[in-house]
Amino acid sequence: MQHHYQSLQEIDRIRDHALLHLEQAREQGSKIVGIYCIFAPGELIRAAGCIPVGLCGKKEDPIPEAETVLPANLCPLIKSSYGYAATDTCPYFAQADMVLGESTCDGKIKMFELLNEIKHCRILHLPPTSRTDSGLRYWYREILKLKDFLEDWTGQRISHTAVRREISRSNRIGRTLWEIGGTCQWDHPPLSGSEMMRIFEANSSTPYPESLRYYADRLLQEVASRRRSTNGTASRPRILLTGSPVGSGSDKVLQLLEQLGAQAVALENCTGLKSLYRNIREDCSDPLHALAERYLQTPCPCMTPNANRFNFIRDLVRQFRIQGVVDLSWQSCQPYSVESSTLSRMIRERLNLSYLHLETDYSNSDTEQLRTRLQAFLELIEDNA
Amino acid sequence: MSDENRRMWSELGLNLRAHDQLLSVLSNAYQDIYLSQQNRPESTSYFDDVMSEIHGQRIQELMREKQQGRKIVGSYCVFVPEEIVQAANATLVGLCSGADFAEEEVEKYLPRNTCSLIKSSLGFKLGRVCPFLEGSDMIVGENTCDGKKKFYETLSDLVPNMYVMDLPQMKSQQGRQMLRSEFYRFLEAMQDLTGFQVDATALRNGIRMVNEKRKAIHRLQSLRTADPAPISGLDALLANQIFLYEDPRRFAREVHKICDELEQRIERGEGVFPANAPRILVSGCPMAVPNWKVPHIVESAGAVIVGEESCVGERGNRNTTEEEGESLEELMEAVVDRYFGIDCAIFTPNPDRTEHILDMAKRYRADGVIHYGLQFCQPYLMESFGVEKSLEDKGIPVLRLETDYSQEDSGQLQTRVEAFLELLK
Amino acid sequence: MRAAGIDIGSRSVKLVVLRDGKIIHSAIADTGYDPQGVARGLLDQAAWDYVLATGYGRTMAQLHFQAPTVTEIKAHARGVRHSCTDCRTVLDIGGQDTKAISLTNGGKVTKFEMNDRCAAGTGKFLEIMASNLGFPLEDFGAQALRAEEMQQISSMCTVFAESEVTSAIAKGADRREIAKGLHMSVVRRATAMLKRVSLTSEVAFTGGVARNACLLHLLREELQLEILVPDNPDMTGALGAALLAAEA
Repeated sequence: MQHHYQSLQEIDRIRDHALLHLEQAREQGSKIVGIYCIFAPGELIRAAGCIPVGLCGKKEDPIPEAETVLPANLCPLIKSSYGYAATDTCPYFAQADMVLGESTCDGKIKMFELLNEIKHCRILHLPPTSRTDSGLRYWYREILKLKDFLEDWTGQRISHTAVRREISRSNRIGRTLWEIGGTCQWDHPPLSGSEMMRIFEANSSTPYPESLRYYADRLLQEVASRRRSTNGTASRPRILLTGSPVGSGSDKVLQLLEQLGAQAVALENCTGLKSLYRNIREDCSDPLHALAERYLQTPCPCMTPNANRFNFIRDLVRQFRIQGVVDLSWQSCQPYSVESSTLSRMIRERLNLSYLHLETDYSNSDTEQLRTRLQAFLELIEDNA
Repeated sequence: MSDENRRMWSELGLNLRAHDQLLSVLSNAYQDIYLSQQNRPESTSYFDDVMSEIHGQRIQELMREKQQGRKIVGSYCVFVPEEIVQAANATLVGLCSGADFAEEEVEKYLPRNTCSLIKSSLGFKLGRVCPFLEGSDMIVGENTCDGKKKFYETLSDLVPNMYVMDLPQMKSQQGRQMLRSEFYRFLEAMQDLTGFQVDATALRNGIRMVNEKRKAIHRLQSLRTADPAPISGLDALLANQIFLYEDPRRFAREVHKICDELEQRIERGEGVFPANAPRILVSGCPMAVPNWKVPHIVESAGAVIVGEESCVGERGNRNTTEEEGESLEELMEAVVDRYFGIDCAIFTPNPDRTEHILDMAKRYRADGVIHYGLQFCQPYLMESFGVEKSLEDKGIPVLRLETDYSQEDSGQLQTRVEAFLELLK
Repeated sequence: MRAAGIDIGSRSVKLVVLRDGKIIHSAIADTGYDPQGVARGLLDQAAWDYVLATGYGRTMAQLHFQAPTVTEIKAHARGVRHSCTDCRTVLDIGGQDTKAISLTNGGKVTKFEMNDRCAAGTGKFLEIMASNLGFPLEDFGAQALRAEEMQQISSMCTVFAESEVTSAIAKGADRREIAKGLHMSVVRRATAMLKRVSLTSEVAFTGGVARNACLLHLLREELQLEILVPDNPDMTGALGAALLAAEA
């Protein structure tokens, strides 16, 4: 399966060098804004001349320290994120001049209050629903307030033109990433779920998206040129992985799936296709309103109801010819856990597919139990195929 | 009489057998916990009457109101503006429940690691054991915490008329704007429900009625600052619980009677507990009826609870609404102002709450504070660390408890509470 | 006056009798299925004038022997000060619970935290694991201490830790290294609790489990503090109750 695409190696290099590039950018006077979530309007941050960088915690190492002020019964992602800040062991966090959070789930909201004592943390307040006009107005005003704040903080005005430029760039790379993701619709996906995840991670960590875009375009050309024709080779189970965010370090389920011979052809989570859910309108007279419209539609379960997510998954199942859905909830993640029961019914009853709900944390203590469940799930799919 | 009740419950669609079970559990608990108390003010017999008729007389009253054209609105949160409900010719009843029910059924819809209050509320619906729920013409949920947000998605499929209110999470101009527009939207919905157009007079009357019962409970609360305390925390909690669904006028009248008796006790220096009993302020998650577990443990261990910083308590009943406005708009602003002050842990940041706890500890002359968190309630459990630190910095001892509705951990809670009381001596 | 303190725990019942501040009698017996019966037996075999009960079974003792009660928290705080007069922090790991207690200079309790809902981090955990690894319980600590390396066990829960151990054995890991890893997970839980309560010196370690040399060693390393263990650490609760009885 490893075709060693040259451009993929370059993208990996961009990811590996992200920290160095951040330091360089900082030395040249750019301000760094740490973000934790795909609700954060990166385009606005860039239009302000700042650099957004993803800080989400993906490893369990700093969790014990976090547990001295946070309850143990809390999502590992939140504990890890806070723990990195508290132990000062995340070099990206150290580079950030401030951090931006959102009022998504309860755990994050309260964690950000504590994080604010370590580094200036500003919260964007989300309305609970994406369906009403009042909700959109509320969110739009939050975006405006962020703009005002960024202007004060950087000392320079943010013009509509600058915002439009960033929107255009963002849409451009979004389209490329979407196309790259779309190659996994082929009978023989050229990239694994892990590789896809790394490409998306490069996008959220590099201060130089233009070079990423360049190699992403090249990658598309490379995979197209090496596309294998379908001639009767046995295909491996096509799985959609959804649920709580996973990333390098917290991707044990993804790795297990691949070890067991399945293909995670679509990742419907924050590190994957969820971040590309909608384009930002470029024909809007007020680009900030366009940002508000688009970001509010993010299919996150902190929104109620979260019809966007269910519709999105239904479309992905069809487009990627999914044979089974693995739904991962981090322990104590109420929003995703509650949506699991509805999602389970939709996948099993309406779409007639296999569905597996997993609940775990960042530790490796339950690897064997997860492996057993995933293996049984894949056997079920193979038997039904 | 009892046949009449059974007919009424049956017409409401209750599961009679399950409901009988619930009533018997309730009655036994009340006997063990309330009627065993020593030295209760006589006028608390009002509570006994209310509790014995909780699903009887009160429901009959509500059914009669419906026959006369009023509507019944059930709610799960003290943010729901009762003034507007009353003004629109409807009656508000609180639906939060305080006992586990139909746990296995509930787990088909909600993850196990959801707080007991939410699971119990769903359990009461699935078990069909709550006449308030079944008799409501509209059920109002509010988007506060994650658990509730997602719970209402499920509940919408189970009840015919579910209305969900959005609440802000920030004490800012914008947050207030959002609350205001939500209250106007709610006003519309209420008018649609009842067919009654609300004008300034109607709203003013609604405000006055709710203020009356608030003043009664404020008076009761203020009398607990006395040393020795003239009424137990258990009885004061019950007053706060009944506040949420009892007839407002009767509540005000009867609670004032209780206050009259308490004033006499205070003059005589007669406390409900011995003179040196430790005084405890409880703070945190709300205790819905019949959740009496922790106050029972605390007061059985010899302490007296002198205040509750909780939605079923001072946080929920804190301010009255200004009545002076002339126009409907002015009165609506007053309503928004009043509710906007509630310092639920869902707000971020939430510094007012800590200030209020410190103030209450001083006012009620508390020797210590017990922070009550429901297991899996992230907002309050996470705030508890900050609250503890702020109180300890001011030299006020704190005990943080985390529990659910089951009886399994009673022994452990008892040990912690006793050790805390020893520490206070 | 002979003051007695009886600590009715879920695994064992302990009795200490004092006269003029000196221990004149002490006894310990397994709780079995009849804690009150065992307690009565110990009390009958001793001579005393006044008794104070503590521990998990203290409320029943109040009913059966009309003995006034005090919680294990207060009893341990008092008991540990008998031999460690400057003790400011107590870590007590018993058969089925773990406590961290913070004391003022004068020995008064200011803050405490308990784990009594879950076997992880308690003596029970070590008992189960010793059995799984085929070591006698009395020897478990010594065996673990002999290992140079440590096999990390990350499960928070006893049941899952058992699976992890089985898995590790199947992969050929050294039993002593696993044992050391298990001791480390107890230490990690204790440390987390202490960090939330107090880490002021002097730190005392009480409870039957305090005799475990490996735990003591790992605790000292993890906390970078000196840790004192009283003689007969499992009698601390009963001793404290007896002292309080004498002072009543």
